[in-house]
Amino acid sequence: MLLRGCKIMKQGEVRRALMVATVICLFLFIYLYWQQSSRPLQALVLTYKHVYTSNKKIHPRQWTWLCVNQRCERHHITENVKIESLSTCSMLCGSTQLWPQPTGPVTLGSKAIIFNHQQFSLQVLASGPAKALVKEAFSAFNDSVLSLVRNNNYLKEKTDFDRFIVRVTVVRGDVIRLKLRTDESYSLTLKPRDSEIVANITAKTYFGARHGLETLSQLIWWDEYAGHAGALKIIKGATIQDAPAFPYRGLMVDTARNFMSIESLKRVLVGMAANKLNVFHWHITDSQSFPLVLPSVPQLSSSGSYSPQETYSPEEVKAIVEFARIRGIRTILEIDVPAHAGNGWTWGQREGLGDLAVCVNERPWSLYCGEPPCGQLNPENPNVYDVLEKIYRDLLELTGETEIFHLGGDEVNLECWAQHMQKSNTPNNYTDLHDLWGEFTLKALARLQQANGGEKIPKVIVWSSKLSKRPYITKYLDRNTTIVQSWGSSQWPDTPDLLADDYKILISHVDAWYLDCGFGRWRETGEAACDPYRPWQTVYNHRPWQQMRLDKKHIIGGEVCLWSEQVDESSLDSRLWPRAAAFAERIWTDPQLDMTTYTIQEDVYTRLNTQRERLVSRGLKAEALWPSWCSQNPGMCL
Amino acid sequence: MKVTSQVWIYFILIFGVCFKENSAKWVWNCTEPDYACERTFTIEQTSTLYSSVELCRLVCGSDGIIWPLPYSYSVIDKSLVTVNISTAWFNTKASDEPTYTFLEDLITYFTNTSSYIDFCTKQTYTVQINLEAKSSSLVLNWDTDESYELVTYTDDQTNQVTINITAETVFGVRHGLESLLQLIVPDDLCYVMLKSVQIKDKPFYKHRGLLLDSGRNYLSVDIIKKNIIAMASSKMNVLHWHLSDSQSFPFVSSREPNMSRYGAYSDREVYNPTDVADLIKFAKIRGVRIIPEIDGPAHVGSGWQWSAESGLGNLVVCQNQQPYRSYCIQPPCGQLNPANPWIYEVLRNIYNDITDLWEGIDAFHMGGDEVYIPCWNSSEEILQYIGTKNRSEEVFLNLWAEFQSKATQAFDTAKGNNGTSLIVWTSSLTDPAIIENNLPKDRYVIQTWVPSTNTVPQELIDLGYKIIVSTKDKWYLDHGFWGSTSYYTWRQVYDNQILSGDAVLGGEICMWGELVNDNNVEPRVWPRAAAAAERLWSNPQTSSETADGRFFIHYDRLNKRGIRTSAVIPKFCAQNVNDCAGYLTF
Repeated sequence: MLLRGCKIMKQGEVRRALMVATVICLFLFIYLYWQQSSRPLQALVLTYKHVYTSNKKIHPRQWTWLCVNQRCERHHITENVKIESLSTCSMLCGSTQLWPQPTGPVTLGSKAIIFNHQQFSLQVLASGPAKALVKEAFSAFNDSVLSLVRNNNYLKEKTDFDRFIVRVTVVRGDVIRLKLRTDESYSLTLKPRDSEIVANITAKTYFGARHGLETLSQLIWWDEYAGHAGALKIIKGATIQDAPAFPYRGLMVDTARNFMSIESLKRVLVGMAANKLNVFHWHITDSQSFPLVLPSVPQLSSSGSYSPQETYSPEEVKAIVEFARIRGIRTILEIDVPAHAGNGWTWGQREGLGDLAVCVNERPWSLYCGEPPCGQLNPENPNVYDVLEKIYRDLLELTGETEIFHLGGDEVNLECWAQHMQKSNTPNNYTDLHDLWGEFTLKALARLQQANGGEKIPKVIVWSSKLSKRPYITKYLDRNTTIVQSWGSSQWPDTPDLLADDYKILISHVDAWYLDCGFGRWRETGEAACDPYRPWQTVYNHRPWQQMRLDKKHIIGGEVCLWSEQVDESSLDSRLWPRAAAFAERIWTDPQLDMTTYTIQEDVYTRLNTQRERLVSRGLKAEALWPSWCSQNPGMCL
Repeated sequence: MKVTSQVWIYFILIFGVCFKENSAKWVWNCTEPDYACERTFTIEQTSTLYSSVELCRLVCGSDGIIWPLPYSYSVIDKSLVTVNISTAWFNTKASDEPTYTFLEDLITYFTNTSSYIDFCTKQTYTVQINLEAKSSSLVLNWDTDESYELVTYTDDQTNQVTINITAETVFGVRHGLESLLQLIVPDDLCYVMLKSVQIKDKPFYKHRGLLLDSGRNYLSVDIIKKNIIAMASSKMNVLHWHLSDSQSFPFVSSREPNMSRYGAYSDREVYNPTDVADLIKFAKIRGVRIIPEIDGPAHVGSGWQWSAESGLGNLVVCQNQQPYRSYCIQPPCGQLNPANPWIYEVLRNIYNDITDLWEGIDAFHMGGDEVYIPCWNSSEEILQYIGTKNRSEEVFLNLWAEFQSKATQAFDTAKGNNGTSLIVWTSSLTDPAIIENNLPKDRYVIQTWVPSTNTVPQELIDLGYKIIVSTKDKWYLDHGFWGSTSYYTWRQVYDNQILSGDAVLGGEICMWGELVNDNNVEPRVWPRAAAAAERLWSNPQTSSETADGRFFIHYDRLNKRGIRTSAVIPKFCAQNVNDCAGYLTF
């Protein structure tokens, strides 16, 4: 009825309808405006949702924790026992509860004080554009702190100080884009002064300052036993110096095999920020689907997405990029070519551009690709490169990322190309089709430079492949600009070979840092590529530079990967967390590995457990590490 | 907040309807003769192109889209009719008032689950739904007749679709309504169904269960409810609730309040009597019976610490003992102390709370697995109680058997009769060589948790025991994340053919809770449990490959009902089932 209604509406009716719509909008704006002004309150309401719905307390609280030999012991509450919550006990007993553990010296006070978030006051000592960013980061910090609050009556509690000053000093106020050489170090001091408590964060760049705020948030916790309603506490006094072990600390999410909403990706970024990861590698398209709406080539998503709803608009991508940047994370969009491209590329014939991609959805897939559906760009069609240039121009515009570009470049199936040439009677001038692949790569790189206004992108990442092996690598990939993302098993010779040839590498070894593995085979044929599951201990204990004695100089960092064949939004959080957090400490702190026993220290278990709970507070559905009993009885489950 | 989002939705919908432009989109086409649904990108709109793969599957082929597969499903007229389901008329026929009320509740369930928003601009047919339950029994147990018949026919003169669901019991009617829910498919802004179908359906196994463990990690009532919703959607009928373990005791016992005071993780992480009653009711209307398990004599610990202070001595031995590897299989340790007669008093009180909450309880799970003899062997008190220098395994097994029989007495005293079937896990006590000395077969049902190649289930059947099968190397959903265990895909779950016959009540898929909590239990259980559901309801002779298309639709259905279901394939494969098939099938 509605559809018909719209079409036969008379002029006066249209006017009336518009009037009604305007009134509705007006109310909406008023409502939204009103919401904005009461933002802290709203955050409280939101976090309050974390509390179990079955909230009828049937009996009084029963447990208290005592710090005995650097370990919190659980005791039943009796009359003569001091009552202390687990969170307060573990913050003040034994190890720090920081994650990742800072690399510089840390001293922490042994007392806690009560404060509330309304006492925060920010002072920014920075010039230039970083100043505004610090304010944004502080707002994110404030959200993290608020997420701990379990009871909105807590503001009525008495506090130990009147003001909580957060003073952030940034030396280079002009640095607002993260680069591989960006200084991410910071120092943090926390001191009481008269009726105030002062947190001093000093950093060379905004990105260090942001990490300082993150660390500060980890010195704060919720004590549910304090006062009547619980309270926020912070350690009274701290000095911390910190800097990462590696400049590239990445996490890759694939949104092509299964779609993930923008909301769920924001949760990924929140988790990354909490763990000081700094590169969000967004594998946004693949042969299964093309959900990215590109202004210059809209055909790709309109024919390549699973449905019109399952797409990312340019505005949404830009919003993600900005959301990430505030959290110290750069976004790298990857449109994988020449393989892993199929659905979305089938409109060429219709528009007179010929076949842009070949073997798309070819059956039986197992002959032409590693997993269904097949599809590879057609390297002999010059129009492909025109389209690529348009795509690249859009990508650079969307992310503003001009230091690093990810070309994809993995798992090319030469049989697919050979078959296509045969079918279309194209003369095959190649004795070795790897050369065709190599030439494609060079042409694509030339178009990338074109798209960047003629300027060369300093670093281009490619997945390790046949092309990144000898003899092709030296022929087609420039060692000064190429970074190879080494994803083969750590037992394979790939990584050492690349280092021997003087290439820069990024490590994503499948046997340790592929978080999608372990869920069995999903296609009827084809081997189960990567079973078993990598528990967090495996992720944490992977330290190839020590195990394989590699030269760290050429390793720019590491990246954990979540391919999405068997993951969607429902399981995204629990697949990633807390395992990606375990990775984060490996890549930020890089603690020594005990290669004889591979034992993980008790302190790591305890801190990771705390970090996991932090992530849950911030709205992430992190997986259980063990039965809660083990959290409540530290050290007893090892 | 909620109001605004609703306003937005309506706003966008109205906007969308008015300014909908005709652009190419994915549609599905039923191909002959292989009855595959092929995806095509077009702006064409013809009656043989369907707006969703679900709709195409409804029409294409002979299996339809109901999960689990009905016993008999025939399409009389496969043309589609657009229906106005939000204004459906219901007619109920019941033999007494309580049955009538139950049927009314089922109608509420039906309308709440469907929650159709109607923006249809096409001519719609009215819908008349007639429900009939012949018997007045409202008891859901192993004797309940869950079969139903569902017949739909369309009168083009009066523009009306009539749906008759007849069943022996209300639970059969419920299953019929469930199938009906699955037969009504969205088509753009409308809902359509087949003009006429005839379904005769009944379950293959009586016991189609899912085990949830709230002893290792607390599961909130809401999350348990979500699992029940998914079970009902898949016609599973038993939630085996492993309530407590050595890690925690979250069940609030009115008679023994110390149990949860000392055993719950916190004052919030508990199930109080109103929670439990609420869950039982919530489950029953969804055709699910909750069977509680209070495990013993092993897998206890938390909750029993108060006894010494209260003057009852030690109810539990080796509690939290370290190094745990010497006293139990997983920390924290603990086993009931059979030398202390007070344990039976306390157990009786707990059982009494159970029998109060589960009125007329038919089946109760007593656990009874993994008794670790070195624990009892380390207790002076128990060694004195045995009073013999011989500490052979047999002596301890006898002690265990004694515990079992006294615990059973305690249960019967609490209930006031011995009419409840008791379920125990397979263990050394249920070893076919000695089980007959320990457990009377008219009283006990044995839940086997051995690998698929193990012969114990068959041996128990041969001895005359009834069993419930939980194939450890197929239906243990916690596997794949610890030790050397491996993950079982939905196909492995589906293809697990269990024993059949009168002695096999059915099967249960188990979600042990060490590594799951509210955050990840749903994606770990679903959609794999749904694969077990079809094994148990339909017991198909075909393999999981045959079920592909239907399974992916059910996966989607669970998601739409708010279950956080884990993906099992790229969505591309759900949209193009044949493109992802292996080359062997070509």
